Amino acid sequence: MGRRSFLRASAVLTTGLAALAASLKPLLEMNDFPTMERFLQKYYKEMTPEEMKKVLTRIENEVEQQYKLRPHVRDLKPMDGVEYVYCLNLTRCIGCRKCVHACVAENNQSRDPEIQYIRVLRLPDGSLDVDKAEHFYAPPSVPEKGFFYMPVQCQQCKYPPCVKVCPVHATWQEPDGITVVDYDWCIGCRYCEAACPYWARRFNFTKPAAIPAERLNLDMSYLGNRPRRQGVMEKCHFCIQRTRAGRYPACLEVCPAGARKFGNILDPSSEVSYILKSKRVFIQLKEEMGTSPRFFYYFDV
Amino acid sequence: MMRATRNYLVFLRRCAALAFEGDWRYYAWMGLLTVLCLLGLNAYCRQFAHGLIVTGMSDEVSWGVYIANFTFLVGVAAAAVMMVIPVYIYKNEDLHDLVIFGELLAVAAILMCLAFVTVDLGRPDRFWHLIPGIGQFNFPRSMLSWDVLVLNGYLLLNVHICGYLLYCRYRKKKPAKWFYIPFVFIAIVWAVSIHTVTAFLYVGLGGRPFWNSSIVGPRFLASAFTAGPALIILAMQVVRRVTSTSAPAAGLSVLGKALPPPSKHRAATLEDLEVLARDLLEMASVPMETRRRILPMAEVLEVQSGGVLLQQGETDDRAFLILSGSVVVVREEGGRFRVTRTAGPGEQVGEVSALHGTPRMATAVAEEPSVVLSLPAGALRLLMESPQVNKIIRSRMSERLLITDRALMTLRSIVQVSMLINVFLLVNEVFKEFYSGNLHDASTKYLFVGLEHHHALVPWIWTAIAFNLTAMVLLVLPVSRSLKWLNLTCVLCIVGIWIEKGMGLVIPGFIPTPLGEMMEYRPSVNEALVCFGIWAFGLLCYTVFLRMSVPILQGRLSKENEAAPDGPIPAAAVPPEG
Repeated sequence: MGRRSFLRASAVLTTGLAALAASLKPLLEMNDFPTMERFLQKYYKEMTPEEMKKVLTRIENEVEQQYKLRPHVRDLKPMDGVEYVYCLNLTRCIGCRKCVHACVAENNQSRDPEIQYIRVLRLPDGSLDVDKAEHFYAPPSVPEKGFFYMPVQCQQCKYPPCVKVCPVHATWQEPDGITVVDYDWCIGCRYCEAACPYWARRFNFTKPAAIPAERLNLDMSYLGNRPRRQGVMEKCHFCIQRTRAGRYPACLEVCPAGARKFGNILDPSSEVSYILKSKRVFIQLKEEMGTSPRFFYYFDV
Repeated sequence: MMRATRNYLVFLRRCAALAFEGDWRYYAWMGLLTVLCLLGLNAYCRQFAHGLIVTGMSDEVSWGVYIANFTFLVGVAAAAVMMVIPVYIYKNEDLHDLVIFGELLAVAAILMCLAFVTVDLGRPDRFWHLIPGIGQFNFPRSMLSWDVLVLNGYLLLNVHICGYLLYCRYRKKKPAKWFYIPFVFIAIVWAVSIHTVTAFLYVGLGGRPFWNSSIVGPRFLASAFTAGPALIILAMQVVRRVTSTSAPAAGLSVLGKALPPPSKHRAATLEDLEVLARDLLEMASVPMETRRRILPMAEVLEVQSGGVLLQQGETDDRAFLILSGSVVVVREEGGRFRVTRTAGPGEQVGEVSALHGTPRMATAVAEEPSVVLSLPAGALRLLMESPQVNKIIRSRMSERLLITDRALMTLRSIVQVSMLINVFLLVNEVFKEFYSGNLHDASTKYLFVGLEHHHALVPWIWTAIAFNLTAMVLLVLPVSRSLKWLNLTCVLCIVGIWIEKGMGLVIPGFIPTPLGEMMEYRPSVNEALVCFGIWAFGLLCYTVFLRMSVPILQGRLSKENEAAPDGPIPAAAVPPEG
């Protein structure tokens, strides 16, 4: 190689490498670079109890490092003979959205941008057509005359379209009827979000902003309210960290109107069994989809 | 084995070296694409670091222009099959020479598709969860897992077919039918499957009435078979243009002028046939008796460099077998010249006209002082009575780089029929949605007329419809037989269909949301940069593929000239005009 062509080749090479380095520069602003341990983490259903324990401890350490508070992260299993059902009394709901905010607080959701699992629709009396719904109603006080309110969250379908479409089994239905997401397995394709007929899934378009430490809910579960990462899907899981420990979901506890009822449908003496047996009008949203929701709306009649 | 590997590596090295050779126009084009690629990479790195928040997507409209481009490009990839079917099933001769270009376009399109789905992922670092066996592959339930399989499978099929055919051409070997024909037929079915599976991605979602329509699959195929061949028509004209020169390259300046035929000729002897047999091994199967019958008809010509053996457009029945030297075949189209093939010792020129009695397709000129055996049709037929000779001569007939207007017109008919079907299917869909007037037509209303003061897509879809209808009218009129009008029509088809099945299909499926919320979508600048980057990457790949395959198809790059110093490929083969 001649001196001139050598010089020219090195000039071209240097320019090329410099341009490449400049293009890669935004990687330095990386929010959330996965460690090797996280990169190689196994699928939820394939982890042995020891491996799961290690992962839970790691999550606790990560949270402690960020918030200086040590959470208790558990992997609660479904209980035998339990299938959860939610009933919501549309006659009683006043549209105050307290459930929306209680849910955000309980489940450690991203505050900026704020991710909410529950969307309350304001519908004109006499119609259940969601195309007529107002999502962003903001009157001085609720309830308003001529309207009723319908909170919508994950309907925990018996035949969930979102589970079917996930290419990597990152979301599935548990034996107690709760459809969960393994946040560490989701690849973020958002196919489930497109498949859901209830618009119940939420995506972390960026890294969830840190929650003020005093607001952090330290009672966490792997499939539930542990902190999420950028680029993964999440959704309502019937407050799995509470309900599998025998407590009510946060949205139910906060409801000032007593519109929300929750329980085990396999237990004939439960409140939800009574409602579904005795109420004459109840609705499964978009029943014609064949998804068979475990979320029932009813009226007091 | 070692030797075969070495040969193959040399082939790859020489192909790779070609990508860096060209005139200033080639460098300018590649430079521009590289800059766009880097800008796209930069934008993607920003997205990788900060998340999909840098795009215009939201929980309401959770797929955007990435998936729209993906959908369009799967169609382009599938459409390569529209060149393969006429050639391998209906034995269409005109399209034969273009099949490789179609399949290379499919490879480039699939690479773009894979890039578009990758940039759409929220966690690309977890791609390994998708690998069957290592990750958790939800097959066959998830249509996305089907798409992963069929797209990668189609990529492999086309890489195999193109790679094998080009390597055989490079080695001047006849491709073994069993080693590629079965794959060609698999690829035909596979092409339909990639696009159908992509349609099923949408059709399978009961919660999105706009997509949940069985006509989406057929519509995808019809629009793919319109836009794909339209793109190939344009690409082929670019190839034709850059592989030809406005004036014949130096040394071939004789072209286009009437020239005296080669001066020296003498009667052929048995020794001449022996000389031929050294390079044309199949001659061994020609018995002495036949050889003797040929001799009285045969002549040996000694041609100087630049001497013309046969002239494009003339009709005569002689074919030439090269004994020594090298002959280049140049075709003139619309005042431009392109090398369609080169022939060395043991190879033939002029056999097509000799056997079929058709006018010469091109002019053959000696590149260096050469000795050739001149045979009239009768003698050639005698020679071809040997099955081995017949096979080799016939297989070499197709070894040429011809892009005829006839081939482009065949593609035009495909575009024409597909566009008619495409518009017909669209009318069906629109009728169903609007006439029945049920509750599920909100997305269609949003797309075509706007809904509740939201109408971002309305101008787009009507542009698409205007383009498609204009293209359809032009296609059925004879005016599109002229290349100028045909090119305009192709551009209208491509843009119209890109809007109609890209943005016009993906976005309205999300608007309004299943809960009736109206939220519009507009791609962000960052998102657009990523898209341009991926398109530039695809064009870069296709340009490199063409840069490598054209000299091989012309016979300029072959195993025979392996020993020659790796200088630039002779002038006439180098892309843009000199």
